[in-house]
Amino acid sequence: MAAVKETVQSVAELERYKHGFVTEIEQELAPKGLSAETVRYISAQKNEPEWMLQWRLEAFERWQALEQPHWARVDFPEIDYQDAYYYAAPKTKAGPKSLDEVDPELLATYEKLGIPLKEQAVLAGVEGAPRYAVDAVFDSVSVVTTFKKELAEAGVIFCSMSEAIREHPELVRQYLGSVVPVSDNFFACLNSAVFSDGSFVYVPPGVRCPMELSTYFRINAAESGQFERTLIIADKGAYVSYLEGCTAPMRDENQMHAAVVELVALEDAEIKYSTVQNWYPGDAEGKGGIYNFVTKRADCRGDRSKVSWTQVETGSAITWKYPSCVLRGEGSSGEFYSIAITNNRQQADTGTKMIHLGANTRSRIISKGISAGHSSNTYRGLVSAHPKAKGARNFTQCDSLLIGKDCGAHTTPYIEARNASAKFEHEATTTRLSEDQLFYAMQRGLSQEEAVQLLVNGFVKDVLQELPMEFAVEAQKLVAISLEGSVG
Amino acid sequence: MSLAKAIETGDLAELPSRRDEDWRWTDLRGLVRSLPPRSGTYVGNLGPGLFDALAEESVSIVNGENRTTLVLGSGGEHVVAVRYIAGPGAGAHTASPKLEVEKGRLILLETLEGADAAYLSEIDMTMKIGREGHVERIVLADDADEAISVLRWDVTLAPGASFAQTVIATGARRQRIETHVAHPGGGASVRLDGLYLLGERRHADITTVVTHAGVDGTTSQLTKGVVSGQARGVFQGRIVVEKGADQTDARMGHHALVLSDRAEVDGKPELEIYADDVSCAHGNTVGAIDEEALFYAQARGIPEPQARAMLTEAFVGEVIDRIEHEGAREAVRAWVAERLHRQMEKAGEAA
Repeated sequence: MAAVKETVQSVAELERYKHGFVTEIEQELAPKGLSAETVRYISAQKNEPEWMLQWRLEAFERWQALEQPHWARVDFPEIDYQDAYYYAAPKTKAGPKSLDEVDPELLATYEKLGIPLKEQAVLAGVEGAPRYAVDAVFDSVSVVTTFKKELAEAGVIFCSMSEAIREHPELVRQYLGSVVPVSDNFFACLNSAVFSDGSFVYVPPGVRCPMELSTYFRINAAESGQFERTLIIADKGAYVSYLEGCTAPMRDENQMHAAVVELVALEDAEIKYSTVQNWYPGDAEGKGGIYNFVTKRADCRGDRSKVSWTQVETGSAITWKYPSCVLRGEGSSGEFYSIAITNNRQQADTGTKMIHLGANTRSRIISKGISAGHSSNTYRGLVSAHPKAKGARNFTQCDSLLIGKDCGAHTTPYIEARNASAKFEHEATTTRLSEDQLFYAMQRGLSQEEAVQLLVNGFVKDVLQELPMEFAVEAQKLVAISLEGSVG
Repeated sequence: MSLAKAIETGDLAELPSRRDEDWRWTDLRGLVRSLPPRSGTYVGNLGPGLFDALAEESVSIVNGENRTTLVLGSGGEHVVAVRYIAGPGAGAHTASPKLEVEKGRLILLETLEGADAAYLSEIDMTMKIGREGHVERIVLADDADEAISVLRWDVTLAPGASFAQTVIATGARRQRIETHVAHPGGGASVRLDGLYLLGERRHADITTVVTHAGVDGTTSQLTKGVVSGQARGVFQGRIVVEKGADQTDARMGHHALVLSDRAEVDGKPELEIYADDVSCAHGNTVGAIDEEALFYAQARGIPEPQARAMLTEAFVGEVIDRIEHEGAREAVRAWVAERLHRQMEKAGEAA
């Protein structure tokens, strides 16, 4: 009964939102508002080459011609794009050479969040414990990246996007915007103009990345937006597993996180991308919280390449996110495992797109949505097969669970089959927690809340087991915390 | 915004386009460049109808001119045939018949028949079914190749009522069959079935929206399709369960067979749920004929074309089996078998 123990323990540890503190730190802000000047300011702050600035300015120009889309099942007041800071960075001495030079306030912040930035600290842990390298992004800049040396020995490049633009311009120029074109959509275009920082990963041919890579995103500054840009390239036969986590302080205002993540998998390469999204969700009345408007897409360019997205979405006031796979290479495959939990006044419209272009491509979608409180939770997905995608196969399962009378759970799948040998299967169910099971668990001595946690953990098990181990434990606790107060 | 409105006002901007979410796969604005004149009154012999032998009464609405209100309040069982006929010539017409069934059982056998012409037609029917009313309708939508035909039905049920519908669509240049059901719960039950058989360049779109507004309602939906040639089948089904509509039991299935590499099937089975004590599910499959079943039949000595035909007939048979009225069921079965046979033959020739 380890799971029960774990669940009971996590219930005991319940706290409202333990990442909601603010770090008092001196910071540099771009002038408020958005103009070509802001774009120039950001580019200059990052010492970017001219081509990057031009790229941004072009994106900005295109963005001005675009309109914010309204098709998602989410509801929010008009955003004033001029009323925010597009760049916020902690003041530092020029480029810290080692951890010792990093502002102790920052280090304390990450310690409080439980993110290991000190390599020794990780090494000094339990023997045999898996290690993972971390890139920590604080507001608009990456503050530190660990294990760089060890990764470099294996030939893996793992650094912040800003650094990659300076150090590896040839790779950045080749791949940036090649999966998510600049004007792909409103938020991606905005991101292309003002993106701040994120991770850059390149795994050379035939290399299996020796450790898990991870990025930790933290929004700290008030009235600011975070525009993450991440690019991961797995060259022929390479393998990499990447984790991403995010938190933000509790504030009454809404803040925006508009990210673009591009993955490129060449022949026989595999990328595993896991997200535990725990942005501040707003309070019980729906005040405050992060608007998480994200474009994530993988291009399975090479034959037999594979990309697997796993996401646990518990935070954010609004989640608007569809990690997708373009299955271009012959025999390539895409997977999407998702848990989306909404409580209180949260709104989520999330799902995936599996676009089958190549022959014998396969995809699998497992989505578990849980809505509680007054929240709204939508699965929206597309599975399509091009006439050339002979033998394409998809299996989709979306299950929704409703807890309470005032929430909504919706399923909107799109299926487009354009050849005779594609085989698509889709199943969806919507139910509430089984009274019988609840009764059984409570009769065995669990409180109602504990019983709900246990059943919910069972409901999402298929997805949790796809996460790397440490993340799975963390995610399980998060599931419990997110649903706190949803019964009774 | 609708085809009917465009026909009435003559304004092409009233046509729904792919930018309207509910019409993304059935674009009319990009297709219709000019509107033909209004269809005139048709005088001539209509010929026999498919369901003549089964019906006590037959109503014909030719070129949309005849606007009918049918009220049934006496109880008992009635079988009524309704024929919507588009006469020869490329005209545009609309019709908006109304039907009220307060009490009793009505079997409505409808056919949509079109002479071989590029007509534009929209038929909007509203139907009200009272507490003791039961309606079963069968619709054979057999439009002409070049026609653009829209059918929209708005059905409102009282608690306790029952409504069952089976639509058989053979497509047209664009054929859209839209059913909206206001479901009050309270023991009312709905069955909404569909079948599309599409060859050559035909297009059919079956769209349904069922809104459960009250406690204790059931909905069962099964739509199947067979597409060959360069045809395109579309199924959009939405089940909405409003707040408080607890104990709703709604199931939706859509299954399509794609027989050619240039055919297309698009599906969007949606659930929109605002009540927690419900049991809702939908399933959707698209694929080719099961190779294993085909092999099994061949191993038993059945030649491949027959085996294919047999499996396809069995596949669509599931929808026909759910028709309750026996006479209608068998008439539909024979009609579908003949259509399917022609379609498979053509598909075989092309391959």
